[in-house]
Amino acid sequence: MSPYPFHYHRAHTLAEAVTLLAQLGGEGQLLAGGQSLIPLMKLRLARPGALVDLNFVPGLSAIDEHSGEIRMGAMARHAALEDSELVARVPILHDCAAGIADSQVRNMGTIGGSVAEADPSGDWVAVLLTLGAQVRCTGPQGERIMPVSDFVTDAYTTMLGPAEIVQEIRVKLPPAKSGGAFIAFKRCASVYASASAAVQLTLGDGDICRDIHIALGCVGLTAVVPIAAQDALRGKPVSAKSIENAADAAMAAAEPQSDMRGSADYKRVLVRAVVKRAIDIAARRARGERVEAGHEYVARV
Amino acid sequence: MNNQAPKPEKGTWVGQPLRRREEGRLVRGQGLFVEDYKLQGMLYLQFVRSPYAHARIDRVDVSKALTAPGVLAVLTGAEVAARVQPFIEIGPGAQGKVIDYPMATDKVRYQGEPVAAVVAESRNAAEDAAELVEVEYHALVPVLDAELALKNESLVHDQNGSNVVWHGNFEYGEVDKAFQEAANIVSIGRMHFHRFSSTPLENNGIIATWDPKKESIHFLSTNSFPAFAAQFLSPALGVGIDQIQMESRDIGGGFGIKITTYPQMAVCALASKQLGGRPVKWIETRTEHMLASAHGNERTFLDTRVALDKNGVITAIESRHIDDCGAYPRYEPLGCIIWAQVLPGAYRFRNYRVDFTQVVSNKCPVGPNRGYSRMQHLWFLERVIDICGHELGIPTDEMRLRNYIRTEEFPYTTPNGCIYDSGNYARMLEIAKGLVGWDGWKEKQKQARQEGRMLGLGIGSTLDSGTNNFGQARIINAFAPYSGQSKAANVKLDIYGEVVVSLGSVPQGQGHETTAAQVVAEVLRVPPDMIVVRPGFDTEHNVYTGHTGTYASQFAVTGLSAIHGAAEKLRAEIARLAAFVLKAKESELEFGVGKMGPEVRVKGTDRSINYWGLANLVNVNNAELPMDMADITLNCRYVYKAPFAVPDVEKKYGNLTLTYAAQLHIAVMEVDRETYQPKILAYAAVDDCGTKINPLIVEGQVHGATAHGIGAALMENCVYDPEGNMLTATFSDYTPITVMNMPDLACGGLETPSPFSYNGAKGMGEGGAAPLHTICAALQDALYSRKIIIHDSHNSGDSIFHALQGDSAKPAPAVHVERRA
Repeated sequence: MSPYPFHYHRAHTLAEAVTLLAQLGGEGQLLAGGQSLIPLMKLRLARPGALVDLNFVPGLSAIDEHSGEIRMGAMARHAALEDSELVARVPILHDCAAGIADSQVRNMGTIGGSVAEADPSGDWVAVLLTLGAQVRCTGPQGERIMPVSDFVTDAYTTMLGPAEIVQEIRVKLPPAKSGGAFIAFKRCASVYASASAAVQLTLGDGDICRDIHIALGCVGLTAVVPIAAQDALRGKPVSAKSIENAADAAMAAAEPQSDMRGSADYKRVLVRAVVKRAIDIAARRARGERVEAGHEYVARV
Repeated sequence: MNNQAPKPEKGTWVGQPLRRREEGRLVRGQGLFVEDYKLQGMLYLQFVRSPYAHARIDRVDVSKALTAPGVLAVLTGAEVAARVQPFIEIGPGAQGKVIDYPMATDKVRYQGEPVAAVVAESRNAAEDAAELVEVEYHALVPVLDAELALKNESLVHDQNGSNVVWHGNFEYGEVDKAFQEAANIVSIGRMHFHRFSSTPLENNGIIATWDPKKESIHFLSTNSFPAFAAQFLSPALGVGIDQIQMESRDIGGGFGIKITTYPQMAVCALASKQLGGRPVKWIETRTEHMLASAHGNERTFLDTRVALDKNGVITAIESRHIDDCGAYPRYEPLGCIIWAQVLPGAYRFRNYRVDFTQVVSNKCPVGPNRGYSRMQHLWFLERVIDICGHELGIPTDEMRLRNYIRTEEFPYTTPNGCIYDSGNYARMLEIAKGLVGWDGWKEKQKQARQEGRMLGLGIGSTLDSGTNNFGQARIINAFAPYSGQSKAANVKLDIYGEVVVSLGSVPQGQGHETTAAQVVAEVLRVPPDMIVVRPGFDTEHNVYTGHTGTYASQFAVTGLSAIHGAAEKLRAEIARLAAFVLKAKESELEFGVGKMGPEVRVKGTDRSINYWGLANLVNVNNAELPMDMADITLNCRYVYKAPFAVPDVEKKYGNLTLTYAAQLHIAVMEVDRETYQPKILAYAAVDDCGTKINPLIVEGQVHGATAHGIGAALMENCVYDPEGNMLTATFSDYTPITVMNMPDLACGGLETPSPFSYNGAKGMGEGGAAPLHTICAALQDALYSRKIIIHDSHNSGDSIFHALQGDSAKPAPAVHVERRA
């Protein structure tokens, strides 16, 4: 299928994009990597009257270190993040970037687009939650910055105003003895995960979990932060038992729906499994081990 | 050219692992697919499709669509029905009452069925206008389950009076006696082979052009069995077969499901006729393809009983099978007999009884899908072997060895008269066990079980019967005017001495251009790259018969036999001509390549004539030739006729297929204790397709068929909700297998040459869906101790989780063993 007719506007500066969006009112929609929007338009499920293309705005895709932070431009492609040595210093970010859909999608799709879309099945929001990431936005009233936890308010819903644009994602480099892992189970390369878990864990003395952040993807209207699961580990030794307790608590916090990716019952089971594995790997990485994590697929070991 | 393998030994190019000559064109985007053609005045057709699975059509209003920008015509089902005859039905009696028009007329019978077609100046205009067609439906109760269909509470085709479109009893040997004498009888309840499809890279496409002057119609399409489609289109459109020109160019995969596109072809043809002969193009979207092209057959197996002797040797099987062919039978009910090509599978039992019924349902019509109809049956037999082995405590490898047909028994006549050409299943098992490391995994399995892990080893024994005898259609309908099998080819020396091969086949990625060149190269003793091969079906090449198409695992036998026959004819003409020119005996001549290109020379001398010289004599300079050589044309057509007889229709007995390639796969699988995901730890695939023409192409097909089967076993499933909505109409939901899911394959082979083909080759490529049987066997081995019977061909982590919880939607069948010894 082909999309309904629409007007195309190419922005050359961020300010121009903001102005265009403001002028277009509800008609306008931003085009970033287009990996969600374009298929929706081609299936005629989305019908924007106009697109404002961000792909020709210079400087929006930089990936830099600044004041102990990694700053990722909104238009940074998943593939660029996957290949970035700076991003690799925070393994959970690399886990996420390297397994999003397939390489064609990763070459086009952007972190800013993914966060702004706030798809409950998207990979990035859960990962960014565990890192306490900040979302920097620009709109007619100027700039503002807020934690990703405040930014995403509901399924496909964010704090963005009508003419406001995500400009940058900022992540603090984790302290020493902190490790993270993202595990997403999906059926094949090009689809959303059935369930995912992001865990960032910081060890104290004696293998005690000093701090832990857990977020679950695909099992709620937004990424779910299982408070009880975090409490099951925070301040306690990281052991098989404490990991089990946290995984059970995470399973209880999940609110999945049945669909072609799995029944709700089964997705809860998956949540338990991916949380367990993500905590284990996060802890091992915090101890300095090199361990693989990321996306897992049906059939493949 | 960097694609030539090492120089052939013994002067033959057959058997060399040449890289496919078509690859360069295809991977550089230089292929020519239907969508690539832009013709003068071309129009675009968009179907309006039913959102309902089963509904009466009360009103179709096209007035808004007709006035939309760029729209030239809107066809409704009723209008189409007024202009064509319903398609012929292959089946007799009940099935003959099915009325199949190219679009829905009175009611819709599956979600996605076309109810109207909009033709416009551009694709966008057609799509926009299609949304303006208003259709009022009255929903009816959908028929979505084969067993419920039998109750006839809701009818898919009212005038038929029943949802049954074919029924037959198949009985061979002395079944009752075998059960009386059995030492053990194993009863197995309901089993189910799920509905899945193929996902070719290219969806269907058609350009139809009506020629008002010649009263003829030209189709450029993706149809993979054009000679057959023409036989359906001709009476429906009221146009002679010779007035239907069929053409195909590059096709991006097919796997059988592009055979049944003649309804869409008919609509495009009518649209072109209505619009004065402007070409009408239709390109299917992926969602349309998933919803409404063709799926594979779904089959349910009931009341299975197996008689075995005290050693676990099967002596008889009886069962009841219900095949669901979707809304219209179309190519069906051929599937009701095609399974019988492999009636005993790889096994020796002689007594068999099955009550076979085919029903219609409110799902997408089925079409032949890689492993067509045989895979359902082979899966059933492999489940029987495994379940019996586990129940009787006989290891599954031993169970197979006790029941396999022995290599010294070939050619082996099956209980229903099929002749298995050659094979060595026990040896294939041995090779596969070596490749996968069977003994080592058995040890690891013991250890794993002690740890409570669910690890299993599974064997799949599979046959890929190739070169079908269309006479089997007579068993379905005694009056069907089909039998045998044939293919045509043409090989010529053109005016400047070029060797040109014209194929009648419809390759969709099988490498026909390459293997055709290898065969001709062998006959003429010239390198394959000196041979021009014209790919693609074209009635104007005049190299077709009514059997022409690419299906049923046969090109290596039928296509190459035709090419070989034509090349031999050409060689004989060249030899006769050269003997005259060179004043030598034909026995003194040798073929080869000289300084002036391909030539014929007198052995041991420098006397020779090249192909240009020979072609010149016949085509341009023929006064130099005596009149008794006027019959030499250097343009040789050959039709290969497969050595078949018409089967005995009453006894349902006869040879249905010429060659039997075999696949022996072994999977080692573990069900993850936390995610319940079935993981493939090791996988071996051993293939025997007789003498290999091109081992590289064979291996590619083995990989492809294996991937398709693994996808089908663990991922791909056409799911309908209780209202008949297809829930898997996009790739996001259907999840065709990707490389990220694939295990490493340990591939091996065995060559048992077929005595029935000139080259020893057996058709291959369908792979019999070997991974379905293999994966189910491995899961059975992993889960048997937990009282799980693998009874469905599709198994996901989700379904295994629910089975282990004991809350599966379709509970496992009751299995009962009666020990009488």
